[in-house]
Amino acid sequence: MVQKIYTLLLLLGIALSSFAGNNPKIEVPLRFDHYYDYEDVVKALEVLHEAYPELTKLESIGESEEGLKIYALTINNKKTGHEHDKPGVWLDGNIHGNEIQAGEVCLYYANMLLTKYGENKKITEAVDRNVHYIIPVINVDGRSHFFKDGHTPSSSRSLRVPKDDDGDGLFDEDAPDDLDGDGSICQMRIKDENGQYKADPEDPRIMVRVKPGEKGEYTLLGSEGIDNDGDGRFNEDAEGYLDPNRNWGYHWMPPYVQRGAGNFPLSGLGIKAVDEFAAKHPNIIINFSFHNTGGMWLRVPADKSTQIPAADIAAYDVVGKEALKITPGYVYMPSHELYPTYGDSDGQMFFVHGSYSFVGELFMRSQETYKEKSDKPGTAKSTENDRSERSREQLKFNDNVVQGELYKEWKSYNHPVYGEIEIGGWVKMSSRLPHPFMLPDLVHRNASVVLLAANETPEVEIDVFDTIELGNKLQRVRVRLKNKNGLSTMTAQAVKDKLYTIDHLKVTGAKVIAGGKINNYRLNQVSYKEHKPEIQFFALQGHATAEYEFIVECKGTLKLEYVSQKAGTTSKTIQL
Amino acid sequence: MVKRLLFLCLCYAFGLTNAILHAQSDTGFDKYHSNREIQQILNNFPSATTKLHRVAESPGGKPITILEIGANLTDVPAIFVGANFEGNVPLASEGALYLAKMLLDSTKYTNKLKWYVMPQPNPDAAEAYFSALKTGSCLNSFNVNNDADELSGEDGPDDLNGDGMITQMRVKSLEGDYQVSKYDVRLLEKANSKKGERGIYKVYTEGFDNDKDGKYNEDGPGGINVGIAFPHLFPYEDKNAGLFAGQTPEVYGIMRFIYDRPEISMVYTLGTSNFCLVPPKGGRKGDANLDKIKIPSRYARRLNADATKTYTMKEAIALFEAIVPAGTEVTPSMVAGYLNLGAVVNPLDEDLVFYKKYAEDYKNYLKTNNFSTETLEPEAAKDGSFELWAYYHLGLPSFSMRLFAIPTAPADDDTETDEKTAKKAKQEAKDELNKKDKALLAYIDKELDGKGFVPWTKVEHPDFENVEVGGYVPYLETTPKPVAIDSLLKTQLPWLLRLSQQLPTFKFENEKITAMGGGIYKIELFVANNGALAHPIAMGQRNSQPAPLVLTLDGEIDFLEGKKRTPVGAIGANQVKKYTWLIKSNKSKKLSVTLESATFTDVVKQIKIGG
Repeated sequence: MVQKIYTLLLLLGIALSSFAGNNPKIEVPLRFDHYYDYEDVVKALEVLHEAYPELTKLESIGESEEGLKIYALTINNKKTGHEHDKPGVWLDGNIHGNEIQAGEVCLYYANMLLTKYGENKKITEAVDRNVHYIIPVINVDGRSHFFKDGHTPSSSRSLRVPKDDDGDGLFDEDAPDDLDGDGSICQMRIKDENGQYKADPEDPRIMVRVKPGEKGEYTLLGSEGIDNDGDGRFNEDAEGYLDPNRNWGYHWMPPYVQRGAGNFPLSGLGIKAVDEFAAKHPNIIINFSFHNTGGMWLRVPADKSTQIPAADIAAYDVVGKEALKITPGYVYMPSHELYPTYGDSDGQMFFVHGSYSFVGELFMRSQETYKEKSDKPGTAKSTENDRSERSREQLKFNDNVVQGELYKEWKSYNHPVYGEIEIGGWVKMSSRLPHPFMLPDLVHRNASVVLLAANETPEVEIDVFDTIELGNKLQRVRVRLKNKNGLSTMTAQAVKDKLYTIDHLKVTGAKVIAGGKINNYRLNQVSYKEHKPEIQFFALQGHATAEYEFIVECKGTLKLEYVSQKAGTTSKTIQL
Repeated sequence: MVKRLLFLCLCYAFGLTNAILHAQSDTGFDKYHSNREIQQILNNFPSATTKLHRVAESPGGKPITILEIGANLTDVPAIFVGANFEGNVPLASEGALYLAKMLLDSTKYTNKLKWYVMPQPNPDAAEAYFSALKTGSCLNSFNVNNDADELSGEDGPDDLNGDGMITQMRVKSLEGDYQVSKYDVRLLEKANSKKGERGIYKVYTEGFDNDKDGKYNEDGPGGINVGIAFPHLFPYEDKNAGLFAGQTPEVYGIMRFIYDRPEISMVYTLGTSNFCLVPPKGGRKGDANLDKIKIPSRYARRLNADATKTYTMKEAIALFEAIVPAGTEVTPSMVAGYLNLGAVVNPLDEDLVFYKKYAEDYKNYLKTNNFSTETLEPEAAKDGSFELWAYYHLGLPSFSMRLFAIPTAPADDDTETDEKTAKKAKQEAKDELNKKDKALLAYIDKELDGKGFVPWTKVEHPDFENVEVGGYVPYLETTPKPVAIDSLLKTQLPWLLRLSQQLPTFKFENEKITAMGGGIYKIELFVANNGALAHPIAMGQRNSQPAPLVLTLDGEIDFLEGKKRTPVGAIGANQVKKYTWLIKSNKSKKLSVTLESATFTDVVKQIKIGG
């Protein structure tokens, strides 16, 4: 009897745990051994905010085309100042709906900042000195559909704005179809003696082109699907196509020049909302937008004909070159070296909002290896043979390191048009996404890059290094300003474009008779400003020093304030 | 007694009739209407067939309103009319209202055509014309810090001589660049040091250095010029355009409204350019060379092409045709788009054909109506303008009209032979400024009694000893005396109504059904475009933006050759295209053929097979 009860309880326990499904309860601290669907992301943000109400603000900044809310989490310690008086750090992710691990990176960073606040010195400094704006999912519709519907690793990238991609007058009428209902859009093949493909002799899952004269075995039929609109083509008009990262305002080009640009700049509701949110926080000096895949840190410019000032490249390099050591194997380059694009987020953030913006392409599939450790450098895979070798290795990784979870074995299916076919291939949660066991490493390393950048946001020190009396009730005051960190207080591009009020040193409290930049203080070489010497406009590059001289009437207290939109305000007061 | 009464009655009746007649001919177009008055006029249009759309709010809080004429119609093409985008051409706003009134006064142009009329896209700037201080400003109230100092909009122009206008000030200075013009003492010209001339004046906009930074009027109130803030050739270097196209809400709202309405088939702009009279200009650098196409290496393999060679468009099309599914029409547009050949920046040759033709026709039309075209050249459409965006991005016939231009000075007569004209053109190009000034001054002296130029008069100025205020008055080149408005609009605007009749119209010209036996039929249909314009025009073919025409064949039949839905592709003016199907049907039946279009009225035809 007791045995029966035990068995029943055991069975009940098993039943309950499988009913609860694979996703663990979402609570603080968050776990990063699984992926969060859209609702899970929202829940994760909510539990973080509930656990740290004094340090966080959670708001919906807008809605997508399908009415889902886009959330932003702001992390700021009010006790150390108002958010707009601090250099802002921005993270966003998943603007391409299929590039989901970007959401986890953002959640990890928020989780790290909040759970280690007060315990870890570097993290506590970052929370106290900066304000962080985190939008884990920009393309909420894309992420939501990616989880809910059958997709390839690359589909559900677009915004849900209907477009007639095939010029037949119908909108989004022929997307791929998940015929076998397994949640992935895989490949279809049919046995065909006259086909151009045969099974690889070592791993029959791999399709290899036949050589001239060789007997064929299969014809590849393309992605899983049917000809929904009867026009003879399969899967030629899926959702969109509106590439949200071509829909930004700066250097936007119409769709016939830049595929997927949308009808006009910021026509995507979510993109417009995110841009407006950025505009509301002009104190942001560094942005990270996370994407997949390939292992890259990309900066502006996005096309060959645009140039940026050398000082800004130097600032970018401060973060970019270090990042490569935190995420070994990544490359760091201007994005046009990948391919030129128009209307992307880096351009918008840098040229319109004046901040240093990176795109992080997460995950290197080359890490899915199946070989012994070797000190020999790997060779680039270029020949057909090499490609087959690599495919075999990837499949062995799939089989033995992740127990077959990334690849769907070829299985027969009765297709309404083609008849007996087979469906198989890499599943949705593969190829561009790390298997969950590799996720913790990915999220931590990339979050560490963001933290490094936060530590490099500008911080200004003012030192009055020389005051002398000049007679006639006048004093000469010499001041040295230093930017302690690697990112400029204002991008050189923003200064050049007169993008907003240029950072400036303001002198109040006494009448300023003359003032100007000291070129050489030992030789008393000063360039005096002709008008309004009491306000001097200049930005401070990373680790740069600037010296200024003021001739003032000796009366009372002199206040020197360096006012910077993004570095905050630094002041020093002296008695005359 | 009765006779007297009768006489009185007659007089009264006569007077009444006169009054009525006078009211009928009093169109109300004898003044320039303010923002509020324009909104009132829009609100007062009869509402049975009209609808007002509020598409945006300007940064200054004013509505951007579009009047829809034909709100009761469905499945008809539409024409969009926008006016006064730069805000300083009040005559254009009047033109839009006048056009709306013409359209509503009859049904000739509104029974099969919808109209969207937007008289005031830049209300913040337009207000400047009606304010006590006339500045000629194009800028809305968007907050722009033009000089990047600590304040925004702190140093605008000031009315130093209290005449209610902002003109210029000239300051006597040893470092001056300008001297009094040899041509007319009112004018200034740049001193030519090579000729030993020394300038004595520095010229500024009238005003103080309000923020005392050494610069004059460098950061006035506002703003963004809506008329240069559209995405085609958006002028990134001009702060007055904003930081990107559509940053200002008027432009964003207008673009969304237009793209939501694929029935829009033609666009009219009333402003300072005149595509009706002078075709849009080319000559810009940066167009892709479509006869020396380089195929990027990342596509070369797929196309079996050589990435080091260049191909003509014909050759490139052939490469594409080899790899696309059978029956797919490969167009230059598809090739250009796939290969990222870049944006079009000059009007396409095939489109210039119709622009030139209509320009000739318009000149004749004006001549017939005794309207002189002896005027200064209309301005070229500006980078970022609405009329250019409509052509290059919407891919639609885009016509602009300038309702008033300064007549050329009478001394310049044009009865020259070709040689002399060429020589004269060269000389005139050198004296470019001279010709324009000549015309302006002649116009001012003749029509405005000299009042178009404020004579140089000394004023006190805190920063300078010797300052005079003077110069051309704002709005001079675009805004004639109110008494001239009605006649200008009455003569020129009907041309736009005529143009509206040039739109493509589609018809099934003929059909041929051949029974092949065994229930198999061959269907041949001839689709004609009987209009004077192609659909799409060349630019629309290049950018694939206009909605496609699709032929659908409906019925319970099997398709042996051909499909249920067949895109028609481009169809030229007065062109006929043939479409063929091979179908199988066991019994005789009626089939429905439809020429579907999101833009034009669908055309439906029944055909009978068998029986």
